[in-house]
Amino acid sequence: MPPETTTSEIYDIGYRGYDGPRLGRAYATWSLFTSSLRAAFGLGRPTRAKIAPWGLGAVAIVPAAVSLAISASVGPDFSPFSYDDFLWQMQAIFGLFVAAQAPELVGGDQRHRVLALYFSHALERVDYAIAKLGAMVAALLIVMGAPMLLLWVGRILGSPDLAGALGDELGALPQVIGAPLLHALGVGAVALAIAAFTPRRAYATGVIIALFIVGQGVAEAVARGTRGPLRDYGPLINPFVWLDGTRDWLLGRSVPDSPVASSGLALSTYGLITAIVVSLAIGLVVWRYRRITA
Amino acid sequence: MPLIATQSLTKRFGSAVTALDGLTLAVEPGIIGLVGANGAGKSTLIKILLGLLEPTEGSATVLDLDVRRDGSRIRSLVGYMPEHDCLPPDLSATEFVTHMARMSGLPRAAARERTADVLRHVGLYEERYRPISGYSTGMKQRVKLAQALVHDPRLLLLDEPTNGLDPAGRDEMLELVRRTGHEFGIATVVASHLLGEIERVCTFLLAVDAGRLLRAAPLASFTERTGTLIVEVEEGSDRLAGRLADAGAAAEVDGRTVLVDLPDERPYDLVRDVVAELGLALIRIEQRRGRLEDLFRDDAPTESTDAA
Repeated sequence: MPPETTTSEIYDIGYRGYDGPRLGRAYATWSLFTSSLRAAFGLGRPTRAKIAPWGLGAVAIVPAAVSLAISASVGPDFSPFSYDDFLWQMQAIFGLFVAAQAPELVGGDQRHRVLALYFSHALERVDYAIAKLGAMVAALLIVMGAPMLLLWVGRILGSPDLAGALGDELGALPQVIGAPLLHALGVGAVALAIAAFTPRRAYATGVIIALFIVGQGVAEAVARGTRGPLRDYGPLINPFVWLDGTRDWLLGRSVPDSPVASSGLALSTYGLITAIVVSLAIGLVVWRYRRITA
Repeated sequence: MPLIATQSLTKRFGSAVTALDGLTLAVEPGIIGLVGANGAGKSTLIKILLGLLEPTEGSATVLDLDVRRDGSRIRSLVGYMPEHDCLPPDLSATEFVTHMARMSGLPRAAARERTADVLRHVGLYEERYRPISGYSTGMKQRVKLAQALVHDPRLLLLDEPTNGLDPAGRDEMLELVRRTGHEFGIATVVASHLLGEIERVCTFLLAVDAGRLLRAAPLASFTERTGTLIVEVEEGSDRLAGRLADAGAAAEVDGRTVLVDLPDERPYDLVRDVVAELGLALIRIEQRRGRLEDLFRDDAPTESTDAA
């Protein structure tokens, strides 16, 4: 083809300025929240970044689905999980989820020194902290809330009397939504407070696993094997204990396996502990990002 | 309105380290070279201008905004390219630069469009969709420049933009910086410890040493022609100097070269005649220029530092 007939040509159109809107801090914070939430599930990232969140998410939702299948075939009274004890029974999964994903959300920006870029934009340091905390809590809310919601919808649809079941299950809605919200806030804030303090992924993951997984074993052993104040206060090392106590206090109905059942502490004490620990964790994350050298 | 102004700006880290020591300066828009040895306080000054570091004493304004009070506003108008690595390896250049554009408040569609524009400007094409972890140092430096440019800033702060690049990469990066400053008209501060690079792109020079301002002046005044003629011959520089002195010119031998005072045009003819008469092999004859290096010598010759 002779060159004269070439139909396309690349033009250098030169540098163009930008006169459009600049949406400021709130928008930047929201953008960081949404992109971090995507990162928590490995979206837009290589496949290996998806393995942990999707694998653990599947492990959390499969029992709910199996539970539905069992109650659908055997009858509603044989459900292995209730709304009340689902989060307690599955706590190891959620512990592993934050151990894998909290360092993913905040470690890389410190390790690769991306923070210097964030803090040289319209975004303030506190905005970064809030966006990352929000993303961690939202990611947990999805992983904790989706199986609960599946249980709820399944029970209604599985019932022969749809309208009647809807009426019955409506009363459980605060538990189905409130419990995951409370647990996501507590677990997410504590895990992020740990992860924010080190650029090293392995350290953060190790400490979070120690707290949630080892803490679970310690809490149960202490609750069974000791008496008096140690039996009451010792299990509090596991965040799921004070969260379960608070859930019990706010939404009612105790979990028989939980150390809360055998403890002498008033339920309101768990509520107080949750309020203090969550505020402390959020404060620590904000403090960390105020102080960190970018 | 000065682009950047500082008044007795001081930054101390603990009690032992003083990074900036009463720095006072004012510069107008252009491509400004910020030159000094490693540890002279260049990066500290840039970080204070961005509001990333609090000054210990003194004040500073950028685009007429106070760095202590209006940090957020300044940051929305400024693009910053740090000296160190600052890119997440998992993301592609397109994703990362778009993300940073949104951090500057650009709506999603505008962020995408600007990202495509600036990545083309810095010369990243097909590779922009691949994860950054596979990029060469040169490509990473381009991404760093692109993220600083994506929100169309009024001021660019570039900290050692040629860090880690090979000679060809340096040339390309300097050309990009020059285009950004001249053709796009964005005021630019380039920090570097390499005088040769600064010399090639800048119009104005700030020289800092040990946290103090050594000199601030248009680049031309640093490298003006001086009143000295350099004559280099293969051998016989002693004889040449002797004959020139006999003829009334102030000449001084410096190895193979002879330095001749140049009060007017006459020594040119004299040198030509004497060289011809002695039959010397002339290598070079040129008027000496002030050298930037002289700035950082303790015994800086007066003819170069005072030439203004």
